[in-house]
Amino acid sequence: MGSWGFIGLAYGVAAVAILTFFVLLRRRLRGAAEELAALERDGGRRTP
Amino acid sequence: MERVARIAPSIGAAAAVILAVGLYLGLVAAPPDAVMGELQRIMYLHVPSIVTAYLAFTVVFCASMLYLWKRDLRFDAVAVSSAEIGVVFTGITLATGSIWGKPTWGVWWTWDARLTLTAILFTIYVGYLMLRAFAEDPRAAARYGAVLAIIGFLDIPLNHFAVYWWRTLHQPSSLLRAGGPSVARAMLVPLLVNMLGLMLLYAYFLVRRVQLERVRHRILEGRLRRGRRG
Repeated sequence: MGSWGFIGLAYGVAAVAILTFFVLLRRRLRGAAEELAALERDGGRRTP
Repeated sequence: MERVARIAPSIGAAAAVILAVGLYLGLVAAPPDAVMGELQRIMYLHVPSIVTAYLAFTVVFCASMLYLWKRDLRFDAVAVSSAEIGVVFTGITLATGSIWGKPTWGVWWTWDARLTLTAILFTIYVGYLMLRAFAEDPRAAARYGAVLAIIGFLDIPLNHFAVYWWRTLHQPSSLLRAGGPSVARAMLVPLLVNMLGLMLLYAYFLVRRVQLERVRHRILEGRLRRGRRG
């Protein structure tokens, strides 16, 4: 592998790590927001 | 926090634009190094990654101290969020360093003081996240985590000065050194632009991750309320 191969590998690995973290964070945020909304809906139904 | 969360998309957009400019400067505009040639372009990613990781762990250290002092879970939310991002950037530093090491030193890894201390830094904060994941009580997780984060932070000055205290393969710092940076201006500008871009990306991730922690706290409170009502 030449110099540009190593450069591409380094930047590629970093891009994959950052994008994966970004996507997983968004997914976790969405999941948590949905769970909170469901909990609040349930809580609202139970309150007289 | 809500006000900060509202400007998060702007911070993310600014990070994306600055990183795009930094990539162009680092991969196209900057001249190749006189000794290492094109390979040295990995520096524009490797150095900003570790500086951003240091920033993230400094925030963890400060937030952990504040948590132990004030016992306010909002500080703990900042600490755990910043630790997670710091682990990502330390991982990137280790990976890019290893990729740079292979053509330069002939090996992917060597037990050099700087490399070993960076690997220890990574392990400490992965351990911090695991410790928190296993603790059931959020206050206990915050307390244990804060103590570990404060002790773990000691690795950063040790890591920084390792290249001066021991004989290492890793070159001494060319940026954070007494007497100012030793890097030529044509290389310093892309380095600083990428550093700014990654720090803005860190800020964006931190705001979003703290948001997630706050939602989790509200879920926990909601469940406790429901439990009390039966």
